[in-house]
Amino acid sequence: MSVQWDRRITPYLFVSPFFVLFAVFGLYPLLRTGWMSLHRWDLLAGPVRFTGLANYADLLTDPHFYNALANTASIFVVATVPQLAAALGIAALLDRPLRGRTAWHAVVLLPNVVPVVAVALVFTQLFGRDQGFAAWVLSWFGADPVDWQAHAWSAHLGVAIMVNWRWTGYNALLYLAAMQSVPRELHEAAALDGASRLRAFRSVTLPGIRPTLLFTVVVSAIGGLQLFAEPRLFGGGSTAGSAGGNDRQFQTLVMYLYENGFERFDAGYAATISWVLFALCAVLASVNAVLVRRLVGRG
Amino acid sequence: MQRAYRTPWLVAALVMVVAGCGGGASGDGRLRLTVATFGEFGYDPLFEEYERAHPEVDVVGRVADFDSHHKGLITALAAGNGAADVVAIEEQYMPRLRQSADRFADLARFGADGLRDRWAPWKWAQGVAADGKVVLGLGTDMGGLAMCYRRDLFERAGLPTDRDQVAALWPTWEGYAEVAERFAGRVTDARFTDSVNTVYTAVLNQAEENYFAKADDSFIGATNPNVKRAFDIAGALGAKGHTAKVATFTQPWNVAINQGSFATITCPAWMLTQIKEAGGPAGAGKWDITAIPGGGGNWGGSYLAVPAQGEHQREAYRLAEWLTAPEQQKRLFVDDGILPSEPEVYRDPVVLQHKDPYFGDAPVGRLFAASSDTVRPNYRGVRDADVRPVFGRALGRVEDGAQDVGQAWEQAVREARDVLR
Repeated sequence: MSVQWDRRITPYLFVSPFFVLFAVFGLYPLLRTGWMSLHRWDLLAGPVRFTGLANYADLLTDPHFYNALANTASIFVVATVPQLAAALGIAALLDRPLRGRTAWHAVVLLPNVVPVVAVALVFTQLFGRDQGFAAWVLSWFGADPVDWQAHAWSAHLGVAIMVNWRWTGYNALLYLAAMQSVPRELHEAAALDGASRLRAFRSVTLPGIRPTLLFTVVVSAIGGLQLFAEPRLFGGGSTAGSAGGNDRQFQTLVMYLYENGFERFDAGYAATISWVLFALCAVLASVNAVLVRRLVGRG
Repeated sequence: MQRAYRTPWLVAALVMVVAGCGGGASGDGRLRLTVATFGEFGYDPLFEEYERAHPEVDVVGRVADFDSHHKGLITALAAGNGAADVVAIEEQYMPRLRQSADRFADLARFGADGLRDRWAPWKWAQGVAADGKVVLGLGTDMGGLAMCYRRDLFERAGLPTDRDQVAALWPTWEGYAEVAERFAGRVTDARFTDSVNTVYTAVLNQAEENYFAKADDSFIGATNPNVKRAFDIAGALGAKGHTAKVATFTQPWNVAINQGSFATITCPAWMLTQIKEAGGPAGAGKWDITAIPGGGGNWGGSYLAVPAQGEHQREAYRLAEWLTAPEQQKRLFVDDGILPSEPEVYRDPVVLQHKDPYFGDAPVGRLFAASSDTVRPNYRGVRDADVRPVFGRALGRVEDGAQDVGQAWEQAVREARDVLR
């Protein structure tokens, strides 16, 4: 081994872990699921026969697929809109001279470092029908306890609250970092021009953090499409749980994928769902990019 | 030059790390065998005994809940990696896994064929594949059906508490439904039974055929009167609010047992341990056991199998063979009420005379073991597991108050046909 060879190869070796990992855990599964989706494929027995695009045709006429898609969209809206608004508010509050800044930042991020399974288990207890904390709070207002899993609206709300709990602080810190990189002179100029705090926020801060807004919306949307652990655990261990409720009222796309792949062992159909999910993510990412750019651009 | 040597070292280190992930030896050089079960198998003391008799073996138990256990097993089988050396399989999953019998060691290779006479014939038959040429699993327990009830709640409802008198209240499921009405008229802070689906499963399991025809495995769930009858009986209880709406084996179910939120539960033999665990010492003496309406039936029961991916199949088989041997089955029944599936054991006088102090000295030997010879096994279709949850969720909708029994039934039949397309 000569020194020359070493010089030429080493840099590639240093960057190779990413590409090797991406090939093994990203590219290969992607291509393999694509191949599986063109087959009738049993999880245990393997490929049964080549069916071309039949799985895709079935999926497009499958009412459970559209139900899962609608649930996913509904939970995404209920979760993301308040989440990002609250994150902006928290970031604005933290973006001021504060005592114990680092401590505040840590507190805000804390919910995000708790494992999702723990979060889901605790919240599912809080939303318990018979002994839940939520039922107790409702009773102060004379309201009857709610069977959270039994109705679409309450289940979507419950799942969305879990998602918000986990991600609001994370997004707030992203916004905060972005806000702190907005040049102070702009704020000072706005103040000299007599702009109110709200006006300054709208006209200086928001345009200043535009790339970050775009980023959080895209990431939340993709995260929302892949929502699984929270609703799955919210349903508990019963037959209702695995399908997202007795009438699939909170079954998300990934839950439907899981049901097909690991409960019916229909790996081909599950692979089809994951490819459609992949396409949806790609479309959403581009639409989001265009929309957010326009919306914030006007401010 | 020094640097040039580093890469091979790195590779070597990586290889060692990767190699370290496999293996089947514990730190002290003993052979490690893992046994994956679900719920309550009562195996821990048996593992210790096996290790004492075989000092070269280290037995490690892995316990999960029913769903996680079977899903994990299937994932590991599909991946070809990660399954335990000995795995428990519940009877519901047998038809499906029989389709992939090549993923398991054929226990006939190790001489399991010679053990055939240990088990009740139907129990043996459920554990084999390829018309009996391949032995997939060795039978553990079975799930003879009885009815557990709370003496304290029955007393408050002005109902008899003596187990023979209670049995006389409900020779049929219609009688059971009448008692539910009487109970609800007197007690308002507890429900009559735990959930629609527990009753449904019990009634369904009293029939030999349910969703699929024994003759040709065709779907008969929509027309089989046994299915409709079980659905109507259980659905009516749910629609009238006689259930505590807690799904079996979930956290709320455990809490409900602990707090005495329901008065009766259809209990297969293996459920007794779960009731004890959930009820704790405070529940001792409050429960009792009596005959189930409609006379006998079997719900569940499991097998021990050896995945073909294991490195120590012969040793794993020896362990499984020992765990399912008559001496161990007898001990599991006396200690934990786990019902044996071997005639030699369930006809044993010690087993027949066994009483359970937790359940008010109920004669569990007489109640469960004595009826073992008359157990009629259920025929499970290959796609049983695809259809079963559809009907389960339909009854859940009745219990949620979202649909009436008729609507739920219609939707279930439609969905079942869709699933089977």
